[in-house]
Amino acid sequence: MDSLTQVTIDFDRSHLIFPTLIGSILVLLSLAIIAKRRHKLAEAGAYWGQITGHMDKPRFFGTLALTVLYFSLMVPVGDIWPNTGLGFLICSIPYVFATGVLFMHERTLKQMLVMLVISVFAPALVWWLFTEIFFLTLP
Amino acid sequence: MEFLSLITPLFLALVVGGTFVGIIFGAIPGMTATMAVAVCLPLTYSLGLENGLALLLGLYVGGISGGLVPAVLLGIPGTPSSITTTFDGYPMAQRGEGEKALRIGITSSFVGGTISLFALYFFAPTLADFAIEFSYVEKFLIILFALTVMAALSKDMLMGIFSGFLGIFIALIGTYDISDGGNGNLRLVPPGTEYWLDSGFSLLPVLIGLFGLAAILDEAELGVPKGQSREDVKIGSGSTFSFSVFKGQAVNLIRSSGIGTFVGILPGVGGSAASILAYSNAKTFSKTPETFGTGEPAGLMASESGNNGLTGGALVPLLSLGIPGDSTTALLIGAFTLQGIQVGPLFIGNNPETWNAMIFAMLIANVAMFAMMYVAIRYFALVVTIPKHVLFPIILMMCVIGAYTINYGIMFDVWTLLIFGLFGWVAVKLGLEVAPFIIGFILGPSAEIYFVKSLESFGDLTIFFTKSWIAAVLWVLIIGSLIASVYMSKRQRKLETRSS
Amino acid sequence: MPFTRRTLLAAASTAALLIQPIAAAAQELPRNVRMVIGSTSTGGDTYQNSAIVADALAEHLGINIKVDAVGATEAFKALGRDSRGTTLMIFHDQSYLGNLYGVTGYDNPFEEYTVGQTVAINPGNAYLVSCDSPYQSMDDILSAAESGERVRVAIQPGGVSEIGFSAMKNAASVRAPGSEENIVAVNTGSQSDKNQAMWDDLADVINGSIQANEQFTQLPQDDQKCMRFVWITARAETLAQAPAEGMGDTTRDELLQYASPETSVTLDGEEDFTFDKEFFFLYNPEMDPAIIEQIDTALTEIYEAGEIQERQKASFFIPNFLPAEDARQHLMDKRDTYSEVIEQISGDS
Repeated sequence: MDSLTQVTIDFDRSHLIFPTLIGSILVLLSLAIIAKRRHKLAEAGAYWGQITGHMDKPRFFGTLALTVLYFSLMVPVGDIWPNTGLGFLICSIPYVFATGVLFMHERTLKQMLVMLVISVFAPALVWWLFTEIFFLTLP
Repeated sequence: MEFLSLITPLFLALVVGGTFVGIIFGAIPGMTATMAVAVCLPLTYSLGLENGLALLLGLYVGGISGGLVPAVLLGIPGTPSSITTTFDGYPMAQRGEGEKALRIGITSSFVGGTISLFALYFFAPTLADFAIEFSYVEKFLIILFALTVMAALSKDMLMGIFSGFLGIFIALIGTYDISDGGNGNLRLVPPGTEYWLDSGFSLLPVLIGLFGLAAILDEAELGVPKGQSREDVKIGSGSTFSFSVFKGQAVNLIRSSGIGTFVGILPGVGGSAASILAYSNAKTFSKTPETFGTGEPAGLMASESGNNGLTGGALVPLLSLGIPGDSTTALLIGAFTLQGIQVGPLFIGNNPETWNAMIFAMLIANVAMFAMMYVAIRYFALVVTIPKHVLFPIILMMCVIGAYTINYGIMFDVWTLLIFGLFGWVAVKLGLEVAPFIIGFILGPSAEIYFVKSLESFGDLTIFFTKSWIAAVLWVLIIGSLIASVYMSKRQRKLETRSS
Repeated sequence: MPFTRRTLLAAASTAALLIQPIAAAAQELPRNVRMVIGSTSTGGDTYQNSAIVADALAEHLGINIKVDAVGATEAFKALGRDSRGTTLMIFHDQSYLGNLYGVTGYDNPFEEYTVGQTVAINPGNAYLVSCDSPYQSMDDILSAAESGERVRVAIQPGGVSEIGFSAMKNAASVRAPGSEENIVAVNTGSQSDKNQAMWDDLADVINGSIQANEQFTQLPQDDQKCMRFVWITARAETLAQAPAEGMGDTTRDELLQYASPETSVTLDGEEDFTFDKEFFFLYNPEMDPAIIEQIDTALTEIYEAGEIQERQKASFFIPNFLPAEDARQHLMDKRDTYSEVIEQISGDS
């Protein structure tokens, strides 16, 4: 009887035990979910159509596009002045400004100016605080 | 009372200043107490041991406490240990009780911190001896117990549990970490992505992606509707805070603080488990478990007293075994060795002045934290009145800093933020649940190491039941928690059908 | 729009101004240097050592050096990406031991990178047994293995923690071929896991360090946490440079009892096996060698001034500066010795 519960673990392969176990549980659970929800699954297309229909597309995709651009530029820009965090500072200012303007509802000149001031000061303050005072590495 | 000679104005100023900086670090999404301590560690070299520790302990207490501010006001946990604070704190803030929620959180933090400090002062060596009774098996069971909260937190049991296991699965991506006892081999890494994924996804970027970026994407999708106005925050009006909310919560507070302290004592279980366990216990023992997750003060109390309970607890193994109880206390070892002081089983006996000064610093830090945050709440709460088009870009920028600096400058962590921001946005639409997911993600790696190591060491599945009386007690708790979850979900369904 | 051509031009010219100093002084370390280390802990020995060296170097050269604890894999990646000298690395013997043991993420540092100056030694690597253990010495352990007793040793596989274990197996095989089979590894992680393995009776011997475990050796005999040193891997010459008061309540002379030649773990029947954990610089292979020379000169001057040694000794490190050339040769010889040990025992089993 004892042998039923006994297990020998080969250390060199022990990295696969838990992923296999959890993976199997996930498969079982997904089967259960599919069985329980097959009606809903059939309506998936309509559901997503509804979501994209109601979406504020410029704001949503605009945010994503700006963020991807922001992340991609930070390191190359920072590489011009290595280890100064300037890549972060230089990219954050336009990013904060552009995202702010994108999220704004009434784009008056005054609002834009306020946003501009904030988008220069906030990143500059943060950059100064973290690179100069706390001595952290930024891109 | 020789240690009183160490308590100079500089000492006090360092504790209070440390607490202040700690609160700021904790309050910024993505910056943690660990980061605050790491940043200030080099300063301690010139300060000397006691003064250096005063600063670091202030940072530690402040950092753990500050996490509750964004958790309550923005729904973004400032540190991993404030995840459960968002469950009830954020709904309260949404219905205009942000200030009240903050006051409850701060008071609970203070209670948790103080209770654990007493435990540390009076029972440290005894508790440490108890902690070493926990082998791989018992530690696995503790993690398993914490994982049962996935069931309790699920809105839809099946989807919730699926989300939780998905979280565990995704946490396993990368190498089976050698420094935790693994064999260093890669798994679940798609070919071609090894360069980025060999260490897997880091917790903090995943966390702020799921809670921060995903929420902002949600808002962007809806066209960024206008936020709360100053009147909505109900400063000084409507539902005001009074200490009477704590009536009948003494048991909850003490239990949660105790759980926090205890989790802190166990090396390697991880700080986030403290508030998770405290929260799930509060829910299990509550008379109205269905109110948890909808802005229930008791949930907030459990979470905050649990995570601050950790502070004293995590110092127990550090000071009586030389082993850190969490990632922040691991850095404190550095502060000691920088000064040429060994920490180990003889530390308390050999350095009574330092030990007393540390306890005193912790006490001051807790009081300072309470006083400063209590006064500052008014201003914190105004955060929600900042127009969203100003607030969101700044939050995004702060998230980037947090993600980039958490591992001292790794760009992939910033991309992780985006990946999980998008994942979080899609997941909710698919009916996946974020809360169990992140809990699975946090606990997954420890669950793996302790499960595999238990079998590797003892070679028998029955060991999980037969190891010790502690294991038996843990099984009772695990089963109790599962039964309670099933019962609660049935009861909730009944309540829903009745009300509809 | 605020971004007119003029502002852009202004930005571009500021940029040009800022680039200039870097271009002009290509043979020297730039003003802002990032030092990555092979450990993720900012409280550990690698960080402390690197911080001491970085501070001294930054002050001496009048530049900024920031130490980032990114961990081995990420540190090697960062170093590989940057050949301008803006990223340097400090790590220890793990960098080539990881490669010898075939750990994922470790290339041969002598081929893929440029190995540079050694700066210090941590002499603390040690092996311990529980106070109630029947083994009094390494000799007892090796004879137990010879007589067929299984000796379980808790280590973290794949590096510094395993090399002493490999040496034990090698010594067992020199002493009585085949007996190395009886020395088996218990694979654990951190120091706390190794201690716990002893207390759970999963291991007979654990790898540890003088710094982390000394206090446990001072506990009363009947305390279940009590431990005894059986072996310190450092060379006697290294340990002899430690402060005479040693560590905690254990003096240097007492520590020397556990190191070669008093405690012998043989390499080949004649010489003893020793292991010093040395910290050294690693550079991008394409980096201008003039920078290495600059650091050579700077470190020579710093070590002549003598202040850095005091700081290192205060943290129980042994100062050990070798200029890049000498350090490289020394570390390659060291690597070759260990490579033979590892091959020897893996060939047997």
